[in-house]
Order: sequence, then structure tokens, then C-alpha cells
Amino acid sequence: MTILALIVFGLIVLWMSVYGYVISSKTSEDYMLAGRGIGILVMFFFMLFSISSAWTFYGYPGYLYTHGPGYVFFIWGCVAGFAGLYMFLGPRVWAVARLNRFLSPVEMMSQRYESKALRVILAVLLLAFIVPYVGIQPLGVGLGFEALTGMSRMFGIAYTVVLLLLVVFLGGMRTTAWVNVFLGLVYAATFLGSLVWIVAKVFPGGLSEAAQVVAQNRPDLLSAPGPEGYFSHVTIAGLLIVGMLAFSWPHVVIGTMTARDKLIFKWLPLLAIVAAGFLFYTIPFIWGAIVAPAISLLPDTLVPPMSGKEADNVVQVIITQYLPRWFSTFVLMGVIAASISTAAVQLMTSGILVSRDLIHGFFRPDATDRQLILWTKGAIVALLLLTFGIAAWNPARLADYLTSVSVPGFAQWAPCLLGAVLWRRGTRQGAIAGVLGGTLVLVAGYIIAPGNAALLGKLIIGSLVLNGLLYVVVSLVTPPPSAEVQSRFFDEVDDFLSVEV
Amino acid sequence: MREIVGHTAGKIFLLVLLVSVVAMFLVPQYFYEPRLVFGWVPLPFAAGIAFLCVWLVAYLIYFFFYWPFRR
Repeated sequence: MTILALIVFGLIVLWMSVYGYVISSKTSEDYMLAGRGIGILVMFFFMLFSISSAWTFYGYPGYLYTHGPGYVFFIWGCVAGFAGLYMFLGPRVWAVARLNRFLSPVEMMSQRYESKALRVILAVLLLAFIVPYVGIQPLGVGLGFEALTGMSRMFGIAYTVVLLLLVVFLGGMRTTAWVNVFLGLVYAATFLGSLVWIVAKVFPGGLSEAAQVVAQNRPDLLSAPGPEGYFSHVTIAGLLIVGMLAFSWPHVVIGTMTARDKLIFKWLPLLAIVAAGFLFYTIPFIWGAIVAPAISLLPDTLVPPMSGKEADNVVQVIITQYLPRWFSTFVLMGVIAASISTAAVQLMTSGILVSRDLIHGFFRPDATDRQLILWTKGAIVALLLLTFGIAAWNPARLADYLTSVSVPGFAQWAPCLLGAVLWRRGTRQGAIAGVLGGTLVLVAGYIIAPGNAALLGKLIIGSLVLNGLLYVVVSLVTPPPSAEVQSRFFDEVDDFLSVEV
Repeated sequence: MREIVGHTAGKIFLLVLLVSVVAMFLVPQYFYEPRLVFGWVPLPFAAGIAFLCVWLVAYLIYFFFYWPFRR
């Protein structure tokens, strides 16, 4: 039954990928940025489910389950960060990319700061931190597959990698966006459906009954700093800051470049706050902070308390133990949908960074459109193999990949990204100094503070402060950007954005 | 952003968002007791919902009455 369902699911994805390939215009702009023609509805699904991944289904609830509700501040920061991206930064990134036909945000940065060195630094930096994030997607499916079938997680990992290859290799960014609509619907239906069903079945008194079970047996799971003392006041505030830096996630920034028109940036904040903040992200919170711990604390529970990396599985294990097997299979498809919808966008972004910014930017500036597409596809295959290796290795908890590795890494380009479109005075020297200084502190943190979450958290925040300070101070003491750059990135954009919609 | 800081409505909008963020930095001091709002909502979650409500109202007013890109 499970295998049959996975085959049918895979065939649907295959059909969408082939259809996307057939209707595409086979240009690099079409393959990489969906012809800059994504409308509001598809854009919403595209973005929401490019950031809602296996982490949302497993890592986030698993962390709440073991450490209490303080972690939710990362989500509040993320919602504010995404809304802020569309409110403040998105229109200008979209406009400058459209006016200058930029295919990658790093290409935009190198032109803004007139620096090829910065292009390499940013491309390598973003690739280094996006690959672990892609790696957790197949891993999430592998964990779900293991929990559901008892078979090795490698089957689930391999299945996801093959589907990913189909979507990004054949279809490109447009198919990725369209597949995200389908996958997002499957994901949301399974995630919400499983929660409603479990609560109705196990807690007839509703969520209040579940919360009371936790409050009476483990009140430390409903307050800070949590059972293991992770969430001090400073840590919670730090999580909010790290979450707000979501505006700098490269696969989200590149999404703004695919928008059809500037009206999209008027409506997307509404969807980010209401649909994502109030509705969608409430589901994993209720799962991880209330329902899952309450079930584990019941006297006749089928799912005794779990800890460590094992807790990443808690939602799937509960569903498998309490709901019919056919529904567990349906939920696994939701996890696969979540994983693919995120990893596909990340892989497209990574492939573009390799082909457009590293190969085309340096070694083959005279490359044809066809070569650019081929290199992007080649990079995607190589990155997929790397991803497969990381997923098989599985060195850390899912939540740690995101909040301790990928997001702090992405944030290292945040100051110069902001300055690129909002601050005329930001200079090449300031951008390079900030990115290198911040990244060095971050990497030093990984070397000297493994396993010490508090120290690592301080170093992550310290790296961002240093990065921002270096960017501003060095920019102010070095010559301003050329008049041509200021005109292209500010005056022309101002004029373009002020035209009647 | 450059357009938003260029007029009074935009400055008020940004100020409201900033105040809400500062409030979010301050509220974790109340999270050390296991309080449940409406019988099931932990306080860190309720604080975030209030935060988003502020952002939503500010956004609706500013973007639909003072959006800077429309002339």
C-alpha cells in the first residue's frame, strides 16, 4: 500500500515536471527565473512551501517537544523577516533585477559593488550554507519512511533525491513553483488533518485537555528555559533576531526576482502574516508543544517520551501508532511534499549560483544560453549527490541544521544585501570586510564551541554585529560607489517603482 | 524602505513595527512560569500572536492607504 502510494505520487510529480519542460521556452531566464512571470497565488505557495520543509514537520515540533515553547520565537522572527522582505526589500530587488536582467541575486550584488571577488565570496558562502539545509529534506523523508515502514531510511532518502532530480532537471524554476502548489496542498492537508484527527481521537476535551496533561505532569515543558535550560531570556531574544534574518535566505530572495509585477509585493505581506503566521505555523507548534508531549505523558501511551535525535520522529511515530496505516502513508506523502517543495527551490538557487556566478561569472563569460542551462543542471546533479551524502550521514538534530548552521550562514550577506538596494554609501570594501569578518567569527564558533549552544549562540549574534559594523564603518571611510552604479541601483529604480501600476 | 521613510505615514508605520519588536525582546522575562492563555495557549505563543496582530493592523492601514509605490 505504502509503496503503491509512493509510486502514484511520484508519477504525478513526474507528469508535472515533463509538462513544465514541454511548455518552457528553453531560455536561461525561463529556466532560472520562470520567465519573471510568477503571479500572486503561485508566488504565495511557491514561497510558503519553499520555506516550510521537513524541518517544519519534524525538526521544529521535535525541538518544542524536548525543549518547551521558547523556540517559537524563531518562527515569529521568520514571519516578520519574510513580511519585511516583501514590504521593504523585495520591490527594489525585483525592480533592479528586472531593469538589468540579472539572473541571480549574487550577480546583482557583484554589479552593485563592482566586485568580482565579492561575487565569488558570496556564491561560495551561500552554497556552503545552503547544502546542509537541502540535506535535511531527504533526511526528513528518510526518518518518516523509517518510522512508518521500519525499513532503512536510505530508501526514503533515495526516493526524494530521484523526485528532486526530476523536478529541477526537467522543469526549472517555473515547474518548481507549480509543483509547490500541488505539494503545498498535500502538505497542508496532511499536517492539519493529522492534528485534528489525533486531538479528536486522544483528547475528547480538546486542546485544553492536552495542555492540562502537560501542565500537571511536566510544567517545565510549558515555560522557559525548558527542561534542559536551553531558552534563557537572551537565547529567546537571539532566536527572534536570527528568525528575522529570514529576509536574507537566498532561495527566498531569488523568489522575489521571479515576480510578475510590483503589486505582488503589496499582497504578499498579508499572506505571510495571516496564512503563514496565524494559520500554517500554528499547526507544528500545537503538535510539538502541546499534543505530542501530552500523548507521551498519558499513562497508557503508545509513544513513551523520546529524546535527542529520536525526538525528530515524534510526530510521525504518533501518527503511525494512533491513526490507520493508510493515513500514515498519506502523511508521509505530505512530508515528501514538504521536503521536495523546499529542496527544489534551494537546488535551483544553488545551481544558479554555480552556473551564473561561478562558471559564467569567471570562466566562461561568453557562454550561450544553452550552456548556462546545461551547467545549472550539472551543478544540480552534483549538489544532489552531496545532499544525499549529508542526509545519509545525519550528524545533528534537524532543528540544529537550520537555526545553528544554515540561517546564521545566510545572514552573513544580510548587511551588504540591505545596503545594496537601500544605502547608496555602501561600498565594495565595506561589503567584503563585513562578509569575511562575520563569516570568520561564525566558523570560529563552529570550531571552538561544538555542543555549547549558549556560547555558539553568542558567537552567532557576535558575527552579525561585527559584520554590520565592518560594513558600515569601512564603507564610510572608503570612496563612495561610482555615479553610474548609484544611478542604476537607486535613481532608475526609484523612477521605475514610481510608475502607476 | 527608501520610499517608506520619505513620508510621515511611513515613519509612523516603521515606528509601530519597531516598538512591537522591542516589546518582543522584553516579554520573555514573563515566560518562566507555565501560564496558559484560554486554557491551552502557552505564553510565548500568545505573545507572538499579539505581535503579528500589531504587524497586521499596521500593514493593512499603511499598505492600503499610503502605499508609497502608487502615484
